[in-house]
Amino acid sequence: MRNALLVVMLLLTVFIRTGFAEDKELKIFIWSEYMDEKKFSADFKAATGIKVKIDIYENNEEMIAKLQAGGINQYDIIVPSDYVLPALISQKLIQPLDHSKIPNLKNVEEKFQHIPYDPGNKYAVPWQWGSVGLFYRKDKVSPEAVKSWSVLFDPKKQSGSFWFMDSVRDTMSIALLYLGYDANSANPQELKKAAELLAATKKTRYCQGFKTGVGGKNDVTAGRAALAVVYNGDAMRDINTDPKNLGFIIPREGSTLFVDLMAIPAKAPHPDAAHKWINFILDPKRGAMLSNYNRYATPNHASLPYIIPKDLKNDGIYPTPDSMKRLHSTKDLGKASRILDEAWTRVKSD
Amino acid sequence: MPNRLFIWRGELTTRGSLTKRGLSFLSSGMLWLALFLIVPTLVFMALSFADRGEYGEIIWKFTVENYQRLMGYSVFGWTPDYLYILWRSVVVAGLTTLISVLLSYPLSFFIASRPPRSRYLWLTLVIVPFWTNMVIRAYAWFLILAPELPFAKVAAFLGLVPSGSALYPSPIAVYLGMVSMFLPFVTLPLYSSVERLDWSLVEAAQDLYSSRTRVFFKAILPQTLPGLSVGVVLTFVPAMGTFIVPDLLGGAKYMLVGNLIQQQFGASRDWPFGAAVSMALMILTMISLQLYRRRGEEIELL
Amino acid sequence: MKAAHPVIKSLALGTMGFLYLPLFGVAVYSVNKAEKGLLWKGFTLDWYLQLFSNEWILSTALNTLALAVVSTLIATVLGTLVAIGINRFPWSKKANSMLDIMLHIPVVTPDIIMAGALVVAFGLLRVLSNVFEPGMFDMIIAHITFQIAFVALVVRSRLMSIGHDVEEAARDLFATNWYVLRRVMIPLMLPGVVAGAMLAFTLSLDDFVLSFFTAGPDSQTLPLYIYAAVRKGVTPEIHALSTLVVLITVVLVVGAERMSRKKEAC
Repeated sequence: MRNALLVVMLLLTVFIRTGFAEDKELKIFIWSEYMDEKKFSADFKAATGIKVKIDIYENNEEMIAKLQAGGINQYDIIVPSDYVLPALISQKLIQPLDHSKIPNLKNVEEKFQHIPYDPGNKYAVPWQWGSVGLFYRKDKVSPEAVKSWSVLFDPKKQSGSFWFMDSVRDTMSIALLYLGYDANSANPQELKKAAELLAATKKTRYCQGFKTGVGGKNDVTAGRAALAVVYNGDAMRDINTDPKNLGFIIPREGSTLFVDLMAIPAKAPHPDAAHKWINFILDPKRGAMLSNYNRYATPNHASLPYIIPKDLKNDGIYPTPDSMKRLHSTKDLGKASRILDEAWTRVKSD
Repeated sequence: MPNRLFIWRGELTTRGSLTKRGLSFLSSGMLWLALFLIVPTLVFMALSFADRGEYGEIIWKFTVENYQRLMGYSVFGWTPDYLYILWRSVVVAGLTTLISVLLSYPLSFFIASRPPRSRYLWLTLVIVPFWTNMVIRAYAWFLILAPELPFAKVAAFLGLVPSGSALYPSPIAVYLGMVSMFLPFVTLPLYSSVERLDWSLVEAAQDLYSSRTRVFFKAILPQTLPGLSVGVVLTFVPAMGTFIVPDLLGGAKYMLVGNLIQQQFGASRDWPFGAAVSMALMILTMISLQLYRRRGEEIELL
Repeated sequence: MKAAHPVIKSLALGTMGFLYLPLFGVAVYSVNKAEKGLLWKGFTLDWYLQLFSNEWILSTALNTLALAVVSTLIATVLGTLVAIGINRFPWSKKANSMLDIMLHIPVVTPDIIMAGALVVAFGLLRVLSNVFEPGMFDMIIAHITFQIAFVALVVRSRLMSIGHDVEEAARDLFATNWYVLRRVMIPLMLPGVVAGAMLAFTLSLDDFVLSFFTAGPDSQTLPLYIYAAVRKGVTPEIHALSTLVVLITVVLVVGAERMSRKKEAC
């Protein structure tokens, strides 16, 4: 009798929680501080009647891990970077898009309609693009020092406390570039050297460790650190609040370029709502609102006229062709990803 | 064995019927534990021998690669990185336990010396942090170790940290966090033993030995051994498995075994390796469990 | 016992101070007007008020509460049954020690190993049924699993202190088994059961590791929320939330202690 009671209780719990799939809901899984969450949710609800729920992650790998652990039928929209698309597609974690539901797709700039990992935007639609760079306090480090990554890696040139970004590809690429190797190298010897460099740097007094881009950025703005490796948009937002003391630069050895896209997980509960969201974002004015808020570059051709003119001329947001030469897209490494993950574990564990 | 009648606790019954009744009480709870504790652990053990696909999927193919990696044989040649982590975890956990023990003895003596009424008050004061959220207790140190407060300033003056920065992340911060986290785990069981100390034996020892330390080691320590064992067991292995404290207060620089495992279930997406590392930790747990049961019998912790 | 040596006294008090210093700091800064930085800018309860208007925090708190209530109820029932089963029946020494080990495993094992094992287990069970998605269901199961052990241990120690005499006396007076259970055992056990339940409740409220590994998007709990927020940067709102959580814990713990001390009065 006791056992029967137990079973009943368990069943009740199941029904209470997994009972009714609400149709009027959209679950978004996105990077932190990537859009004006309150405003966009309110606007989307006003336009479509669908309520938006937002969950946050801080790097791609974390997001994939969550999907692999059972998230593919819990979220409707995810925002992966381009280089993880092969992983997502091959593991059937995302579904193909129905272009008929996204008329605004035509607004996307030409070159973003044919990204190497998803030509024709079969699975994903561009969201924002940007770069990784060095965010620093002008009152703690000299503008000369930050022109090179040596301000982090060379013990003789370190002059302020700093945070590395807790993101395997971006940080490993920076180390590889500093050593003169290819940012996407899969050569075990080169990776070993990069890992050793990072591990050794980690132990120096000035290195505070690894933090998410947003976390590191917040520390620099608050004065708790002098430098941090961050995403350009996050940096730009904070620089606007204190232009005299805060600066952003892509050091001369180079850094990584990323394109983030919207995709729909394979078993998303509300795929219809998801398509509506994608279309909503691709609206010209909406795209501009997004970029004007988060200060990243928009892949939306039709939004360009509405972007803050100062941002269009900002090399940190829309890099000049010269700057572009120093920026390297992160590539999917296929089987070699395993070596990279092992190298990263070494960096963190040593 | 014949199913004879006998008396159990005043009841005339057979062994068979007692067993049946006993099992009916035990079944639901034990079944639950078997299903959600024992079986998953066994699966976990099996997982440690599985392989990982290129994007993080599990491939159920027998391999000892994970243990090899743990021992240091990776694609980069032999590197004792993971053994370092295990070693570092042992050291940190050991020091944490030691410091906690050193602080717990005076605390226990003090509480035992209070009048019986106020003892409960003091014990409650010790218990409250024990049951408070780990995350809160860890991040609370952010405030104390912030650059503006004297502690960080002193450390900067001594050159331990760059000036103007907080006293975290740093090994000091990690130890502070760990000790404050685990101190009650040692104090409570130790106090149980201290409360029952036979002070006449201590006085006798004081008459015999002139040095304080000998009195301690000969008279006090043996009597408090049960409580001490329980405290050490409740602290040492769980301390090795903590990941919040090194994560928040160590800036992801000082990895312990707990962080390593957590990372495999997160960004590294290498469940089989995580399982292998967990198994290593599990062995230590089982050893300490035996110690708890042998030495800590009398301690009514809960 | 003689009074404590002054050195011991100061060490002891110092240790207590060390334990409470961080929590005190959080409480102090939860009422500080300053939003960033540590300068004292005046007393305010604004941050607490802000908490109550934050919809996400309220729903998170609700999740935490619901999770704790459901898991505690089930775990208390199961744990008590197990305690009775272990204590009131003659088992062979080997069986007894096996049961004992099974109960102690969750107490001594680092949370992260249990969490990892459950993640894998749920991953496999998910293939069989959709209900094992990360979320409330998984979290409840995880919490119950380690709560059962604690409840069982508490109730068992209470049973041990009750002893057999009462039961034998009742049987001498011709009480049936059912009567013994309902009218004799349960009332005597009750303080222990309640203490065990309250402790299980607190364990669930404050659990981080297990929740971290089994939570889904809709089922965030307060400890998870605080952790995510703290990683980005602390705000006074978080301090206010933390202080509240600590206060609630204090109330529960003191209550549980009172309950378990009640036996002295009997």
